[in-house]
Amino acid sequence: MIEGVRRAFERFRRTPAFMGFSLFIFVVILNIIVQKPGQFFSPRNMNSLFSKNVPLLLTTMAMTPLLISGTLDIAVGIQLAMVNVVSVMVFQQWGTSLYVGFLMGMLASLAISAFCWFLVSVLRLPAMLASYALIYIVRGINVLVMPSPQGRIPDAFYKMYDMLLGGVFPFSALFPLVVLIAWYYLMRTRFGRNIYAVGGNPRNAFAAGINPVWVQFQAFMIKGILTGLGGIALTLMTASGNPLQAEAYGLRSLSAAIIGGLGFGGWGSMACAVFGTGFLVLIQNTVYYFFSFLTKAIPGFTVTSYWQNLVSDVIIFLGLLMTIVTAKGQREALRQGFVRQFKRRERLGD
Amino acid sequence: MAVIISLMLFAITVAFNPPSFNANTLNAVLQLMLLLSFAAAGQTMVLIGGGLDFSVGALMSSAAILTTYLMNGQDGKFWLVFGLAMLMGAAVGFLNGFCCIKIDLPPMIVTMAISNVVTRVGYVLTQGSPSGWVGPSFRQSIVAKIAGVLPSLTLYALIVFPLVFFLLNRSRFGKQLYLMGNNPTAASLAGIKVNKVRVLMYIFSGMLSCFAGMIGAGYMSTARAQIFDEYAFTSLVAVIVGGTAFTGGIGSYTGSIAGALLITVLSNGLTVLQLSQPVRNIVQGVVMILLLILYNRARPVRQ
Repeated sequence: MIEGVRRAFERFRRTPAFMGFSLFIFVVILNIIVQKPGQFFSPRNMNSLFSKNVPLLLTTMAMTPLLISGTLDIAVGIQLAMVNVVSVMVFQQWGTSLYVGFLMGMLASLAISAFCWFLVSVLRLPAMLASYALIYIVRGINVLVMPSPQGRIPDAFYKMYDMLLGGVFPFSALFPLVVLIAWYYLMRTRFGRNIYAVGGNPRNAFAAGINPVWVQFQAFMIKGILTGLGGIALTLMTASGNPLQAEAYGLRSLSAAIIGGLGFGGWGSMACAVFGTGFLVLIQNTVYYFFSFLTKAIPGFTVTSYWQNLVSDVIIFLGLLMTIVTAKGQREALRQGFVRQFKRRERLGD
Repeated sequence: MAVIISLMLFAITVAFNPPSFNANTLNAVLQLMLLLSFAAAGQTMVLIGGGLDFSVGALMSSAAILTTYLMNGQDGKFWLVFGLAMLMGAAVGFLNGFCCIKIDLPPMIVTMAISNVVTRVGYVLTQGSPSGWVGPSFRQSIVAKIAGVLPSLTLYALIVFPLVFFLLNRSRFGKQLYLMGNNPTAASLAGIKVNKVRVLMYIFSGMLSCFAGMIGAGYMSTARAQIFDEYAFTSLVAVIVGGTAFTGGIGSYTGSIAGALLITVLSNGLTVLQLSQPVRNIVQGVVMILLLILYNRARPVRQ
């Protein structure tokens, strides 16, 4: 029994998600200390945590298949705003139901993803710069479609988004849950293996009969769907349209993914994205509560939001520094894997 | 080639809007182009060495804030500001280089994380509002006109350009930089201390960015946080347009200056043609993608 648990832990320690998981647990404990357990675990707190951060979580999840297949798109943030803008404008101008708006937003997101795939995989441009240029284009389109922040969605929708199912389970948490289940189903298909092969080494994958460009197209389509979902969640959260919001999500989701343990190409899993985002979000939460605690504890101590931003950015940077340790752990895991393979062959040899 | 394209663009702009061809426009274009070429100097070095520096914009903004804050409308503090700015640039550059070596991640992400921190420090120090003015004589040394057309900023260029040319083409550091960008393994086998060269190139880039920030503060005469942040991207575009490859080892500063000219003329053209802001954004993005297609396609998988 104990042996089994130990072995399971050893196996988990070698997975990519381990470092992200440890950081996540660390920051959860920190947050509980700062905020008191009863308050932290209360359904209300959980609900506000989820409903505020599900768009970011979905963005990071959208980044995951791209990172695994060895590409990148830092324009996802502004694409969320695009889904938001298209949904609200279709709802407002065409007078259709909001569901049609969401469908059009999803289609817009898929179209932009296909365009980005064309630039990155077919034309083979450097992914970071091509998608950076894409930010400008999408921003321009957004403002053309919706010149200024406006619009309002029916009350029923955002009330549903902020609802607690059965008084315990936040409705917004359904989004990532469904995505996670679908993703773990996908990983059991042929695509699940191909995506890692292409990310690890496109040349070898091609030699093994996998078409890297096609696999990356599938990855980009998954990203398009997830970005669409993120945009829908964003629309439900803000209940209005804004063409220039969420732009920083692109970079934040990238750092979340990397802190969570995703590598560039062929290394990582969806769990990394979840833990990385959790770390990022809870750090900001902790910093906020810590500063408000200080303000209460020390009379005359005031602090501006600039300080909070500085502290959380410094912590994100430190999180990136922590990946020195992660990378070391990953190399160690890889090396041990090789050694084991080697020994097995020796045993078979004699 | 970039020079030819930019001359053509300028001709097109003038053809569409003849009154825009006057001494003032030429002066403004030259000023902005020189400012951009200062900002692009460090980026050129880093790109040749196979890295990427995204903290140029944040450093320029911070140096601009430093300049206006310290000068505060008085003359005679140039050398103090200059020294502090260089120190700041060197410190951040060192941090960039050190972290790029230690954290095994693409330099773009590392430098972006660091530039975020630098920006936040700027916000904390200024509390989000502009503070101070540059000294009047320093401002005059930048915006005064020589013979009606030539901005006196050219005098600074007479110092900076030869310095960068010397560093890149005539010094041992430059030779090592090209070799390292071309093939880091071969460079380290040839006895070059690769890590030292890499840290040095980020330090030079930081110092040049800070210098560009000082000049920019003089040009704007006041500064707030994030004022020059877009230069992180524009300087990169200018360098790439100038023919410096992403893969490292190829490129020159002459090209970057020509690239800076092209970018400035393009944005001048977009302003003169009175396009709306979203259309300008789209045009910028499309131009960037076209340039990437021209210069920076990776090799195909099947060979």
